[in-house]
Amino acid sequence: MENEVKNEVKNEIRSDLNKVMNNTEPDKTEPGIENKNNKNNAEKAGDIIIEGIDIIRTFKMGEVLVRALRGVNVKIRRGEFVAIMGPSGSGKTTLLNQLGLLDTPNSGKIIIDETDTSRMSDKKKGEFRLHNLGYVFQDYALLPELDASENVYISLMMQGKSKEEYESAAAEVLKAVGLGDRLHQLPSKMSGGQQQRVSIARALAHNPRVLFADEPCANLDSQTSKEVLDLFKKFNNESGQTIVMVTHEEWHAAYADRVIRLRDGVVVE
Amino acid sequence: MLEKAKVSFFLASRSITRGNKGITIFTVFVLTLIFVQLVLFSSILAGVTLKFNELMVNYQTGNVVVEPKEEERYIEDASALQKKIESLPEVVGTSARLKTTGNFQYKEKEIGGTVYGIDPAEETFVTGLEGAVISGEFLSRPDRGEIILGREVSGGFDALMESRSLGGVDVGDTVELTISGKTREFRVKGIYTTLFFMADAGAYISRADMEDMLDIEGRDLAQEIAVKTTAGTDEYETRTSLLSLGIKENIRTWHEFAGILRLIENTLGLVRNIMNAIGLLIAFVIIFVVIYVNIVNKKRQIGVQKAIGIEQNVIVASFVLQAMLYAGTGIILGYAFMRFGLVPYTVSHPIQVPLGAMSLRLDDAEAVNRAVLLFLASIVGSVIPAYKLAQKDLLDLIWGK
Repeated sequence: MENEVKNEVKNEIRSDLNKVMNNTEPDKTEPGIENKNNKNNAEKAGDIIIEGIDIIRTFKMGEVLVRALRGVNVKIRRGEFVAIMGPSGSGKTTLLNQLGLLDTPNSGKIIIDETDTSRMSDKKKGEFRLHNLGYVFQDYALLPELDASENVYISLMMQGKSKEEYESAAAEVLKAVGLGDRLHQLPSKMSGGQQQRVSIARALAHNPRVLFADEPCANLDSQTSKEVLDLFKKFNNESGQTIVMVTHEEWHAAYADRVIRLRDGVVVE
Repeated sequence: MLEKAKVSFFLASRSITRGNKGITIFTVFVLTLIFVQLVLFSSILAGVTLKFNELMVNYQTGNVVVEPKEEERYIEDASALQKKIESLPEVVGTSARLKTTGNFQYKEKEIGGTVYGIDPAEETFVTGLEGAVISGEFLSRPDRGEIILGREVSGGFDALMESRSLGGVDVGDTVELTISGKTREFRVKGIYTTLFFMADAGAYISRADMEDMLDIEGRDLAQEIAVKTTAGTDEYETRTSLLSLGIKENIRTWHEFAGILRLIENTLGLVRNIMNAIGLLIAFVIIFVVIYVNIVNKKRQIGVQKAIGIEQNVIVASFVLQAMLYAGTGIILGYAFMRFGLVPYTVSHPIQVPLGAMSLRLDDAEAVNRAVLLFLASIVGSVIPAYKLAQKDLLDLIWGK
């Protein structure tokens, strides 16, 4: 079943690419693919939202020094959907964590929307994340004691929004991810796909400048993965949401505008 | 600031209402026990102190004692003064006493002790000695040559200082009493015990016999007038009232006679403070462990909260609020258990102690003090692990390291 869905998606992508190549009308029913080459690249060009400059990240694991990133340079444009790929241990998640300010590089700079984050204190980074960035984790990372709506609006609450504001925003975004009827459901009563949708809703509720997703479909079956990726694509297309996603599946990466490939801590493509 | 407090409270309330009920019940139960332990010893001590005080007032001093003026040996015109004192509405009765040290001899044994010369009829209005007689009878007004001995003087009857006593005098036996060089024989009419060793180390003879031995017959002298007031009357107010009557004699409340009791009370108080300190330390450790285990299980959640931008202080405060709520509930339950359970139970079913029947006494000021200390212990016990963990590297928390 899983392979069938993967093949189906791959075929759709190939078909779409062929359509574009042949100047045919794109299939409107597949927003994930239809606008792949339709986007206003001119608008994107020069409008860099994230710039990673010479990022070096080294971890000490016992006595061994692991050089996860060895001077990575990346640029991500506003409204771009970028996939980060590479074999295990290539530094994908490490790069995402640096770009998403979840970790601090040993050296190098991360500039987000013209803000140099390398000099920010942990507290400032926290504030920056709260207002500007959104995260979708591999295992959803929902707070089990909060229901769907509460999980979504907790960051809005932290921003100081009023009750009406954060409740209506949460309801709206949950409706947008197809969970309008499950606002008060606890994560434990939801399927993996539903939990990941809540996670996406949480990441998007405060209109972040960039959404970071670390293997968001790793724990989902192919059909659910497709639904989640469709959602990403929908927000990318409709709201111009910048998305940076780590994945190791080629068919997931096919949803992205661009793929950054890493090997041994270096960008290879 | 208010928004942050709101988020902390929100996280704490959800954690309590939707978190592991077992952990919540266990934590509250432990804190309830700790609070009970903290106030129980104080309540026992307060009960013992109250008992001591009651014994002192009921069997020895009454509420107020009038003594001779400075540098005078006797109160003169004692009966006139008694009438004056008894004119106060709050005064139940007075007993003019002659009081001196005497030497008791029975067979080969000889001991010293305090001897009171009393009017038995007056005395019954002031002290409960008549009811404290455990063998024989109490004195009556016409009695001459008869004596009532405390059990610490007579010996036997489970006296605490048996070796210091006369070694087992019985009712009907004759003891020799020497006062101011004058020796007379007295027939033991009764033996009493108040269970209070200070009161039990004395003896009572009629005032007429005492006047005779002191060579002051018919002079209406007294060495002290014990005054009993109605229940609930403040002794210091009684003293003021007595002074306003123009009484020039020394007026002392029973508190001033309770020196040794204060010593015992202070010693027990020291023990209580040590017990409290140990109790609080145990409380702190338990709270620390419970909160720590709770927090360690939520390591990843803390990481996620930090990742989505919830401030560290807000996260720490949410755990502190939880601990405060646990402590608050534990305190309320513990207080309710003491106030409406254990204390009333010991009032209706007193505990038998060597001093007699005793019940617990919960002092609200002490309870508030313990509650505040337990509250502080819960704050410190939760701040430390919460702060320590929340300070950890975000990715370490997310990865559950």
